[in-house]
Amino acid sequence: MNPTLRRSGRTARLLPRRGAAVAAAALLVTGLSACGPDISSDAPATGNAVLQASSDEAPKGEITVWDRSGDLYKVFDAAIKKFTAKYPGVTVKHEAVDIDSKLQNTLITGTDVPDGVFLDDAKVGGYVSHLWNLKDVLAPYTKDIAKQKVDVNTVGGGIYGVPFDLDPGLLFYNAKALSAAGIDPNGIKTYDDLLAAAKKYQQFKPGAKPIHLEQNAFNSQLQLEMFASQLGTGLAGPDGKLRLNSPQYHQILTWLDTVRKEGLGTRAEYLKPSDVSALDSADEVFYPWAIWFDFAPQQQLTATKGDWRAMPLPAWTAGGARSGAMGGSSFVIPKDAKNPKLSWLFYRFLMFDQAGYTAVYGPNSVYPGGLNTSVPAYQPAADPAKPLFRPIDAMGGQDVWKTAVEAGREIPGGAPIPAWWSGAVDYLGTDLQKMLDGALTPQQVIDKAGKDIQTNLIDRK
Amino acid sequence: MTTRSASPATKVFREPAVEPRARAPRRRRRTLPLRRLLAPYVFVLPFVLVFLAFSVYPLFFTLRLSFTDWHGSGAAHWIGFDNYRYLLTSSGFWSSLGNSGVLWLLIVPAQIVLAVLVAVLLNAIKRLRGFYRVAFVVPFVTPLVAVAQIWIVLFDQDNGAVNAMLGAVGLPPVGWLVTSGWAKPTLALLFLWKTTGFVVLIVLSGLQQIDRGLYEAASLDGAGRIRQLRTITVPLLRRSLMFSLVLQTLAVFQMFAEPYVVTKGGPYTSTTTAGLYLYNHITRADLGTGAANSFLLVIVVMAVSLLFVRLLRAED
Repeated sequence: MNPTLRRSGRTARLLPRRGAAVAAAALLVTGLSACGPDISSDAPATGNAVLQASSDEAPKGEITVWDRSGDLYKVFDAAIKKFTAKYPGVTVKHEAVDIDSKLQNTLITGTDVPDGVFLDDAKVGGYVSHLWNLKDVLAPYTKDIAKQKVDVNTVGGGIYGVPFDLDPGLLFYNAKALSAAGIDPNGIKTYDDLLAAAKKYQQFKPGAKPIHLEQNAFNSQLQLEMFASQLGTGLAGPDGKLRLNSPQYHQILTWLDTVRKEGLGTRAEYLKPSDVSALDSADEVFYPWAIWFDFAPQQQLTATKGDWRAMPLPAWTAGGARSGAMGGSSFVIPKDAKNPKLSWLFYRFLMFDQAGYTAVYGPNSVYPGGLNTSVPAYQPAADPAKPLFRPIDAMGGQDVWKTAVEAGREIPGGAPIPAWWSGAVDYLGTDLQKMLDGALTPQQVIDKAGKDIQTNLIDRK
Repeated sequence: MTTRSASPATKVFREPAVEPRARAPRRRRRTLPLRRLLAPYVFVLPFVLVFLAFSVYPLFFTLRLSFTDWHGSGAAHWIGFDNYRYLLTSSGFWSSLGNSGVLWLLIVPAQIVLAVLVAVLLNAIKRLRGFYRVAFVVPFVTPLVAVAQIWIVLFDQDNGAVNAMLGAVGLPPVGWLVTSGWAKPTLALLFLWKTTGFVVLIVLSGLQQIDRGLYEAASLDGAGRIRQLRTITVPLLRRSLMFSLVLQTLAVFQMFAEPYVVTKGGPYTSTTTAGLYLYNHITRADLGTGAANSFLLVIVVMAVSLLFVRLLRAED
């Protein structure tokens, strides 16, 4: 037989089989594809599940809680022992996890969902549809929690995180260097005073660029929001509308641009080698940043260790608030958690029970002097007269607790964090960097970033 | 052909008689037992299941997702081609493709030339051959994050060793990782250092398949080393080079970890590659747009790869 004919005959015989195989595969794939989310044209379900506290007097069960690895994991690990001593029926499985990379997938798939998660405040808004609304369980404590922390965890009237730390912005300064230049830090009460002090320092030490100008897009946006929080505003209002085009943001951006234009700023990424070098050589002597900068004199600076002090931020106008919030974290409870009520019990202990917050902030094996990179968001725990952490030797023995707690009380509320905040870094953070490099004016940043955020983030939600 | 006069002892070749088809005994079709019929399918079934579950299903799922606005929870809403329309009119998407394109130009041609030269040298040397081969492969097997950290330290603007060396010869410091003009070349250098060893291996295996006799003949005809390289080595390495070209093109357009660790896509968005741009959508739970972005990326990468394959066929 002609080979061509033979082949075509074989093909003809195989065709039905192949067709059947393809049809079966297509059927299987279509069936599997349907396992995804429902596709509808209805409005998205908000799913407002409000958690209620357990009335069980002797609670029993196991909870899994996620923390990020590092020092805080060890601190919480020690605090868990106190919790289980008080509630012996509850077992806590404590896991160190790369939360940023794991949480989203876990919540979407609903597989191995933890009972509680340590989460950046800026990210809580993005997960609300997966979380328990904690409004009712938090009700007895809400009035005693820093307003800024309640606001950042509030979405659509629900509260989705148990506020952990308050991170007040402070002005860190090199006291020894300023003293040598004849500058009295107590005279710095407004940002104009800070500019004047920086100029005076530059005259004393030519070549110095006294004020830190952050070179990382994310951190610079975080710092911008600290300044904005000080003025009682934030990128979005409670109604979700963008508030970038406002006199407050214009004032802040103009001030940062002035620091650049007058050659008063050190352009460096937070505590990267260039930054540490400028800090240790006393070329960079003013650092308006969150309380967690105190890590630098304790762990990273060598030549200027012991020379640094902290004071409240300068005010934008005389008599204005002397601090704003920069960063911070909370605890969230996923809706798919197996034991959400036990999880709430655990976080209630850590944050609102004296034994709990003392275990977290007080002296422990990780921080012998206590955890001093933030202060509690729960006001009764943040008493200036009852420090939970000790004065810091690397900061000349300064009582940073008192400074930070008092500054924290000045932080205005009214600045919720929108779900798209991190995404805005691609636009606002980037444009801010361009301005600090002299490529954009403050108004151009407001216009360009505002348009991009509106188009790419807000309108697409 | 046969003859009647031939004696019976004579051996005569006879053509085999062709039986008319109609008279041929009908071959009885033997029915195989069901087990034997099914056996091949059962053998391939594990692969097919894995392939369906981990390749075909995600592909279709992603395709379906790309037409929705799903953010990871609740119902997904069918929005037709909105995600594609958004991406195709978004400066961010085109800028990320542009960044990957520039990185391709900085990396792939240089890498191919470098790999041929290194492979020829490695093939020619007699002493310490094993040592050199291992030395070129070591960067490829070193964890990327470790290499990236070294890069960050080496290329630091103020305290990096590279700028220290430039300073020693009186040159000003360069903002390798903090200026948009230099960040891409610095990243390209990292990629070159990390992956060239792998391309060298491919080229080396191609080199070893070239008949040594060709070189001996060319040598007898008076061809020097450079001419041998140009007229024998490179043409006969064409398939290996094309393979490397396609492979490295795929790698560059999917490059993610290098900019993620070293520059986070900055300064500004100058090192936000196509892979990193896609990742950014996913981390923001903008899963519908991320899915559409991955399909557009697949189309671009497939088009570029097919172009190279066509070129290879045309050369053949």
